[in-house]
Amino acid sequence: MNTPRIGCLSPLALVSAFITLLILIAAEIISGNSMFNPGELNAQAGVALGGVTSHSEIGKDCGQCHAPFWSGQTMSDLCQECHADIAQQIGDPTSMHGILSQGASKPCQDCHTEHNGPSASLTVMDPTDFPHDETGFSLFGHQVGADGQPFACSDCHVQGISTFDQQACTNCHRAIDMNFTVTHTHDFGESCLACHDGVDRYGDFDHSQVTFPLTGAHLQVNCSGCHIDALTISDLQNTPTTCEACHIADDAHAGKFGTQCGVCHNPSDWEDATFDHNLADFLLVGKHVDVPCESCHVSGYKGTPKDCYSCHAQDDEHNGAYGTACETCHNPSDWTDATFDHNLTAFTLTGAHVNVKCIDCHVNGIFKGTPQDCAACHADPAFHAGLFAGMACSQCHNTSAWGGASFNLAHPGACGEDVCINHEGATCRDCHTSNLAAATCLKCHDSNNPTDGGGGGDD
Amino acid sequence: MLRNSKELVFAFLACILIAASYAAVVFYTNQIPAASELYGHTIGIIGFLLMLATETLYSLRKRSKKARWGPMAKWLQLHIFTGIVGPFMVLLHTSWKFNGLAGVTTLLTVIIVISGFIGRYIYTRIPRTADGIEDTGLVGQMQAGALANARRLMSLWHTVHIPLGIALFTAAFVHIIGALYYATLLK
Repeated sequence: MNTPRIGCLSPLALVSAFITLLILIAAEIISGNSMFNPGELNAQAGVALGGVTSHSEIGKDCGQCHAPFWSGQTMSDLCQECHADIAQQIGDPTSMHGILSQGASKPCQDCHTEHNGPSASLTVMDPTDFPHDETGFSLFGHQVGADGQPFACSDCHVQGISTFDQQACTNCHRAIDMNFTVTHTHDFGESCLACHDGVDRYGDFDHSQVTFPLTGAHLQVNCSGCHIDALTISDLQNTPTTCEACHIADDAHAGKFGTQCGVCHNPSDWEDATFDHNLADFLLVGKHVDVPCESCHVSGYKGTPKDCYSCHAQDDEHNGAYGTACETCHNPSDWTDATFDHNLTAFTLTGAHVNVKCIDCHVNGIFKGTPQDCAACHADPAFHAGLFAGMACSQCHNTSAWGGASFNLAHPGACGEDVCINHEGATCRDCHTSNLAAATCLKCHDSNNPTDGGGGGDD
Repeated sequence: MLRNSKELVFAFLACILIAASYAAVVFYTNQIPAASELYGHTIGIIGFLLMLATETLYSLRKRSKKARWGPMAKWLQLHIFTGIVGPFMVLLHTSWKFNGLAGVTTLLTVIIVISGFIGRYIYTRIPRTADGIEDTGLVGQMQAGALANARRLMSLWHTVHIPLGIALFTAAFVHIIGALYYATLLK
């Protein structure tokens, strides 16, 4: 029963194989290559290319798309023979096919398929895998549509996969937020792609990531409030960030304080202004701290004089007699808390002068021009009997006391040095008991005659 | 019944596992695996090799006089196992498109599998030893008419099954050549 050959090599099997081959060859000839057709070709009519308006019109001429491998041609070569516009796009780095191919020879069939039926799509791509970033617009922010469903290519590419009408953006975003979209397109136009690249959701745009963080009242401002007439990313980025660029019309100071609003104001509120006067050249101390700004800054802040008299002229109880350098004696704490170092003047106060009231010398409160000679204040006493008229008091007196004067001049009269000046400790008044014009010895002696002996003072 | 049909149980389990892998691919890719892609190609190639093994190994063993690698019954079990699992994989390889030569090949595959089940039924009508040889003792106890009928049916089945198998493999080889030409060599 056992034979040396296996069943498939039996005569009957070989005949079967031969007949099957004949049938297949006949079928191939009769059907015109339909035998190897894995499915019907696309029948959707389009622009006439290569003499047909759809692939189905190619019929069973497989060689139109499938070149023999020994010919050196690829399927992509044959695709581009008819689709010359696509071949041109591939050579154009700014076109969709040029971007996607990036100069590389990418087989058409990687994205485009066939034999899936008359109405099947010729473009089969996984939207989640499609390198949409390379087109210049990322799908990062477009994972799902307004209806919460994943995006299909046709949602945006309504007129075809290689075209894009930005009206599609507007239509969809109106469905998401009508008010915002209407306002936004009114403010910035409908050229969405001029600013949006799909990388970020600008609805959640974090302004703090740029050089001008939004705080305070700025958070409530519409984008177009600052980005006026901005239609491109460059316009947005070049929006001036200085206060006066937007707030020049809001300047209640009419420019008097310059344009550095932030020195006093913050973005929360114009009214919530603070100013550290100590940043200025004029420090506020003492009573100046509580003075209203306008008291000093009568006609503006810039260029306000810093000298006392500019503000305090009307307060000068000295009527200008002491000049205008109030700070010489006064300080900002209190007018009455005045101090004056008389020794800084040409007339040093010493001796009994130290305790003399200012007004005693500076009669009527007039300080300036007060004469410095003694006689201006001190009348020649009767005791002098006019003998020292025209002479300086300081010839004999000092400022400690009138008494204790020393007579350093030649004593008039007949008495010599020893008799008249150094008369055993006698003072002027011992001899001149009433005035210097008259002298007597009788206070100590019995006689005015020096020759009488008469007893001395020691008697 | 099942105790004597372990190959059917194993084949069924293998088909369950393969179907599970197929379902997983469908679930994760959200599409039917195409015959020309990795998974479809893989199960097609493995399935065809199993079918080729089905066609050749049992026949070789049956006709071998020198080499006696195991009992014939085991080879028949392997023949049945690969004859079920291989076609099942090929069926999944089709991506459920049955037009053209691929469809004819699939149809022939289904026919040959059904034919195989019929053949196994006829095969079991004749008592056999563990080696698959007719058990002369038991055969002798059969009614002569029934035995002759079973042998005639078995012969008839062979006459149909083998040419069908050859027709299937002829179509399959042409299909493979076509696939190599259109889908592999052409870029």
